[in-house]
Parts: sequence; C-alpha cells; structure tokens
Amino acid sequence: MKDSLAAGADTSAAAGRPAAPPTRRVPGDARLRAQYLEDLLGDPFAAGNPHGQQALLAADERREAPAATEELLDRFGLAAEFVPRALGGRLTGVEGLAQVLRPVFRRDVALGFGAGMTALFAASVVWTAGDERQRRDLARRLLDGGRITILHREFAHANAILRGEYTARPAPGGFTVEGRKEVVINADRADAFVAYVRTAPGDGPDSHSVFLLETDRLPAPAVHRLPRARTHGMRGAHYAGLELQRCPVPAGALIGRLGEGVSLSLRTFQVSRALVSGGALVGGMDSALRYAVRAAGESRRGLVPRGRRGRVLAGVFADLLACDALAVAGLRLLDLAPQHALIPSAAVKYAVSALLHEDLDELAAVLGARGYDRGPAYGGFQKLVRDLPVAGLGHAGTADTQAVLVPHLRTLAHAGWRGEAGHEAPSALFTPGAPSTALDFRRLDAEPRDPHSGCDGLLAALLGAAARLEGKRTRGPRWAALAALARAFAGEVHSLAERCATLFSRPDTGTLAPAAYVLVDRYCLLLAAASCLAVCENADPGAAEGDLLAGPDWALLALTRFGRRLGLEVPDLPDGTTQDLAAALADRYRRGRSFDLYGMRLA
Amino acid sequence: MHHSEPAAAPKDGGRVTDDIRARDVAAVLDTLHRLSALGVIATAHGSAVAPPVHIPRPDSSWLRIRENLLDRGATVAYATWTEWLPAVLTTPRLKPLLGRDWNRYAATRDPAVRSRFAASRLLIKYTAAAALGIEAQDIDIAYRLGGRPYLRGLDQVEVGLTHTGELMAVGISRMGRIGLDAERADRRFDLGLMRRQMCTPAEAAELAALAEEEQAACVLRLWTLKEAYTKALGQGMRLPFTEFGFGLALGGLRTPDGAAAQGEEWAFASHPVLGRYLISAACHDAGLDPAGDTSVGTMLDRRLLTAMTPPGDQGPAVDI
Repeated sequence: MKDSLAAGADTSAAAGRPAAPPTRRVPGDARLRAQYLEDLLGDPFAAGNPHGQQALLAADERREAPAATEELLDRFGLAAEFVPRALGGRLTGVEGLAQVLRPVFRRDVALGFGAGMTALFAASVVWTAGDERQRRDLARRLLDGGRITILHREFAHANAILRGEYTARPAPGGFTVEGRKEVVINADRADAFVAYVRTAPGDGPDSHSVFLLETDRLPAPAVHRLPRARTHGMRGAHYAGLELQRCPVPAGALIGRLGEGVSLSLRTFQVSRALVSGGALVGGMDSALRYAVRAAGESRRGLVPRGRRGRVLAGVFADLLACDALAVAGLRLLDLAPQHALIPSAAVKYAVSALLHEDLDELAAVLGARGYDRGPAYGGFQKLVRDLPVAGLGHAGTADTQAVLVPHLRTLAHAGWRGEAGHEAPSALFTPGAPSTALDFRRLDAEPRDPHSGCDGLLAALLGAAARLEGKRTRGPRWAALAALARAFAGEVHSLAERCATLFSRPDTGTLAPAAYVLVDRYCLLLAAASCLAVCENADPGAAEGDLLAGPDWALLALTRFGRRLGLEVPDLPDGTTQDLAAALADRYRRGRSFDLYGMRLA
Repeated sequence: MHHSEPAAAPKDGGRVTDDIRARDVAAVLDTLHRLSALGVIATAHGSAVAPPVHIPRPDSSWLRIRENLLDRGATVAYATWTEWLPAVLTTPRLKPLLGRDWNRYAATRDPAVRSRFAASRLLIKYTAAAALGIEAQDIDIAYRLGGRPYLRGLDQVEVGLTHTGELMAVGISRMGRIGLDAERADRRFDLGLMRRQMCTPAEAAELAALAEEEQAACVLRLWTLKEAYTKALGQGMRLPFTEFGFGLALGGLRTPDGAAAQGEEWAFASHPVLGRYLISAACHDAGLDPAGDTSVGTMLDRRLLTAMTPPGDQGPAVDI
C-alpha cells in the first residue's frame, strides 16, 4: 500500500498538488486509516526519516512548511478526509477524523492546521448551507488538490488572527467586496476562500454573510496577496494577508442566505472547536507528555514513579485522559446528535485549552534545561510551547466560547432539573471508537436546544455516575475515594445551579455580570469531570487498553486535580494511586502506545 | 532586544524607615546601575513590563496602570502593606472583597500576618479591577495547581504577585504569563552556595570576574529574575535555577552554557523601588498580538449573543 502512495499520483494542473488517491487504496475505517497514516509518517526520532522531528524542526526554524511531509499527506489524500463520503470523500464522523489527524498533530501542530484542518473549517460552511452545485464544486476542488482557507469576521477582543474584515455592497450581478486581513493561514497559497463578509451595518445578528471566493473566477487586479506575517508560534504555517479592492463577486458565490453569516459561524464553529480540542490540543499534548517521560527516564535517577517527577507525569496523564474523555464526548455528540452540540462543543474547547496549557507548564519543570533544547530529541517540546497557544487562539478563543456559554447559565438556573439525576446524556457519547453515525452538517443548530428543555444532559450524567459509584465503594479504598469525590462534585453541580439562580435573580440588569464568567469556568470543569466519570463507567475492561480506563486510578487523580482547581477541600489520594498511574504511563511509553483514550500503536 | 529606561539608583539609598543599612542598599543599586543591569528588556514584538507604579491607596489614580497595560502590554503596581492597612481596617465590605480567601484570613491568628495577607489580596483585586473595568469584589482569585494565582473566567490578563518585608507588588499582563519577585536590596546571600546551587556555568564564570561586592549585587538580581521567571511558569522553584540563566547585564533568557534561549518571547525588567527593594518581572508574550481592550464589558461578541436568541424570546439576552 505504501508503494502505491510513494509512486506518486497524477498531479492536478490547476494547483500543482497531487489529487487525492481513490478511496479504495486506503482503509475505509477511520481507526485503521489513523494507524496507516501513523506508519506512513514513521518513527519521529529515527535518523534520516524525512518526516521525523529533525526535518520538521528544521522547516519550522526556516519558517517553511515541511514540503516532503505536505507532499506525503497529499499523496495519502488528506483532503479527502474533509469531504463527506456522499460527495466522494472519506469524511463520515468527526470522531474518526480527529483520530486520523492525531498522528499529524502529534508531530507538528502547525502542519495539522496548515496542510489539513483549516480546509474543513472553511468547507464546513459549504457542507452546512451550500447548495448542491456549491457542495459538488468544492468537493471536486478539494479532491483535485485545491487549497481552501477561511476569512473570519472580526470578533470582540480580536487578536491578530481575527482582526480586520471585509465588506460587501450590492452591485449588478452580485456584490463588490472590499477589505483586508493581515494574518490568515494559507492566504498566500489558497485558491479558494470561505469569507465572512459584512453585508449590513451594526451589531445585529444578520450583519454578515458568507461567500465562497474562488480566485480563478475573480479579476486578478482586485485580489492582492500580502506578505507572510511573522508569528511566534506555528512559524512554518503560511500566515499571510489578503486584500480585496472593489472585487466583483457573483451572486452565486453567496453561501446560504444573505445575513446568515453569524448563524453559520455558530453552527460550523462547533465542529472547529471540537476538532481543535480533540485533534490539535490532545494530539500536541500527547507529544509534550512523551518528551517529559523521556526526559525523566534519561535523568540521573531515571523515572521513579514515587518521586516528584512521577507525580507530575501521572497528574498530566490523568488530565490528558480526562480532556480526551471530554473531547471525544463532544466529537461523538456531533456525530450522533449534532443539533445538541452547541453548548458542549464550546465547553470542550474552553476546558481542554485551559487545562492543557496549565499542564504544559508542569511538564516544562520536569524537562528542565532539556525544555530549551533545539535538537531533534527535545526541540519538539519548545515548538509545542510556541504552537499550542496559537492553536487555542488565547483570550479571543476563550471569549468566543464564553459568548456561547454565558447564556447557558440561564438554563442552569432553571429549577426544573435540579435535584434529579434524570435525562442523562446517553452512554454512547462516552465509548470512544464505538460505532457511530456520520455527522450531518445540516443538522447543526445555532440555538441551544437541550433534549429535555432546560436540562443539561452532561451535568446530569455526573449526578448519575456519582450515584452509581456509591454501590462500588466496597470494591476497595480507591473506588471508595472516587465515590466520595464524585459525591463532592455532585454537590458542586447543585451549588452551581443555585449560584446561577442567584445571578439571574439580581436586579442589576443592563450589564453583563462578571460573576457569569466565574460560573462558566466552574461549569466547564464540571463537564470535564462528568465525561471522565462516564468514560470510566462505560469502559470495557476486556478491550485493548480498556483495563486502565475501567479502573478508578485515572479518574480519581483527574477529579482530585479538578477539585483543587475548583478550590474544593480534596482529601489525599489512597496510597499507591499516583505511582500506579505513573507506572501505567511508563508502560505505555515503553510499549510505544499513544497516551490518549485510544492507546494506539505508534510508529 | 530593546534597551530602554535604565532606572537610576537613588544616590543616597532613598528613604530608610526600617532596619535596612542605607549604605549597603545604595552600593548594591549603584553597582547594578553601573553594570547596566537595571531597566527593561522588551520582546521581539515590542511588548514590555512598564516600570512599577506606586499605588499607595485603593482610591489612588489607576490611570498609569491602565495606560501601561494598553501601551506596553504589562504593568506593575506596588505599595507597602501598611499603606493599604487603613483600607483593610475600614472597608465595610472586607468579606465580599476577600471572597474565597476570607476563610484563610479569618483562620490566621497573627494580626500582622492576617492584615498583610488581606492587604495583598486587595491590591491584586483593585489592580485587576482597574485593568478589567469592573468592581474589585467581582474578581475571583483562583490558584493553579502550581500555586500561581489567576482570575477565574477572565483570561484576557494574567496576574503575578510578590511580597517581601513590607513591600507588596502585583503584575498584570495582557500578553501572557507574568511573574514577579522582590527582595530587599541589602539581602545577603552565601555567594559560594549561590554559585553552586543557583547559577549556570556561564553565570558562575561571569561572576568570577567581579569583585565580591559586585557579585553580591549581581546574585541578588539573578535571584529575583529566576524567581520571577519560574513564577511566570507557575512552577516556583520546581524548575531548578541551574537549568536556565541570564547575563549579568540587562538581557534575555540564556541556556546553561550562556547561549540565547527563546529570547524573543520573554520580556524582563528589574527596577529599584522605595529606594530599598529590587523588583524583577518576567512576562511571556504568547505572540497572538491580542486586543488592547481588556475590559470585561466588551468581551462577548454581541452578534453571537443576539443570534442565539430567537426573536421575541427574552431568554439569554445581553442583560444578565
């Protein structure tokens, strides 16, 4: 199979990039494709591997995309992963897509965006609201090796990547578009742009519309590609500017209805947020933890599970598994019931980026001077320190999720569901890799639509899991400790609901209460705890790597850390819990397995 | 690297109100000034930690704090805890102001320790409130697992805190993580021990070329910089100080062998304050070129909020 790829497929004349190979050449199952891609990319630390860390770091140092690896991904047909199967691609569910992308993100976060995921951020608008012709044309373009990127509108508290926007005025036959953005990934080499463009003045919800701008159909003098922007992180990604001057755009370029842009961003960002979390952040953190495990192993004393380093590594491992539990729940929710994903997908992004950035600092202390190394053995760590904040978009990314989550506090304030454990989110959300359905982009919803009016299924899952854990107390001190901790978290769920109710009963309307942001932060930590408990409860101890997930250790350590972040009084862990988890981590490291929920074999 | 505003050491050692030996203080600050070790190092993007601003009371002017945050990216407010003691003793709202820290305050028996703790929390809250445009009592100070304080739910700024003797200082940054450390300028270190346990080989070699008095001044500054940097990382002293270093003159981060390490992303500053303390700050620039606006009132995108609300529904409106 490798040979058929390495032989090189036809190259498309238009873009100079190879077209995706027919789907039959690569495995149909996403898990197998992930393994296939992992093996194609090879051992990151093998000398002479053209896709290893040495080559990727050298390209980053030169501020270039790694050409050989981009070409390999083209030959693998990465673009087909972003095209729904019904349109000739390989995309079914986003859980599977995140699995396929993790081998790329584990090696190079910037490459995962630049050569990959950005295409879906853009294309998802067409899959969601495009007409048949637009869907077919874009699918063809991507499968033929075309490159597409996204032009966001300017958000509140925008950073460089979100700053600037475009404006359209009606003109004969369509519109005239004007505007400029300085920092857009792949703006210097994309042949199509999905553009959020202002079509009405003011702050209303119908101020923007989305257009598909295909540069080969626009007059060249109106389109100015601006020079590359110098970024601290993702140095190899092609961030550049695009200026449009009195650019005529045909009416047929409008995606969806006029004024539908803000609604479309609310719908499609759910997919983006879940994939950034479950692809880039979890994949990148997997590698960061691997550098730290290796550094601890190579230190004078070696990796001592009982020592301070062992405690830090076990803690980050627990966080990573818990973050993945939350991310996978969000991804599976998109696949199974996309109409309910608005709130959870925002919470996934909020929690996973906050937790993993904190963990990166903990790992830096374990790495010590190796953390500053630029060589192939450890240089990837410093690259992750630079790249991951760009992936999460910092405060602007947080504010974007808060805009979705703050209104949800009103739902939490409703008394209706408090005190009952009913209406739990289905257990199918918490079984990584189990059969799922294909994500139907058209069912994504811009308005929160909870299944049982005013209920929060994920929080209810926490209450349910906590209640069921009471029956497992007799299994041993660790289960008893987990049950006690879960009960404390259930108490926090009720306390959160009461605080939300208090917030909304206050008379000081007219401004957003700063307390709302505090409650959103606590809500997201509780959802992470809920996913963690639910994945533990639903894990099959007989499955490969299921033993660890079905046991109490990782959930116990993860909830302990969440509890401390919430400011709860958390008891000490039962003897041996941390050491056993550190030993399980060292075991996965030695066996060459990924540190996420899937524990896949690494090249 | 942009050198700017080398801070002059006061010639007479400044006002001396406690047991600090004025001559030592003056000599240390003079030495650092002479070695060009004081002042500000900006990041490649030009963001920097502005020189510390004295805020003696909650009702002092916060204008320079806001201006520094907007113009430079990071700002530092300082005071003595005794200056803020009247505020602690007279505010009728101490309990809501301390929030989750109230229990720790109430459980502390030594009145001086208790008051100093309360004064430092008030300084954080008032400084953060000035930066964010909200009331001090709306700030929820939470702590990362490594102990670094942060403002729960409001990640447009990071905070850093230090206190020593009667000095307390708070750093606020909109660029990325910030750490502060302050020491009395006449604090004496065991030079042999410091060279072995705190210094990189490159630092030890540079120090060896100096007279002992000069070494003492340089070690003091290195100590505060290393404390500030590891506090910015949220790791306190868990990251061994021999694993990274600085030059003896103003400059960025170095590897143990003295080579430049990620110098572009970190801003550093060392300044004398109150004539008898040295404050150092370390501030990371995550490189996102974030918005200058850090106010809470503008952070939610109004279009998203209105788009999620069906017409006629008075549900999740902006007026929470």
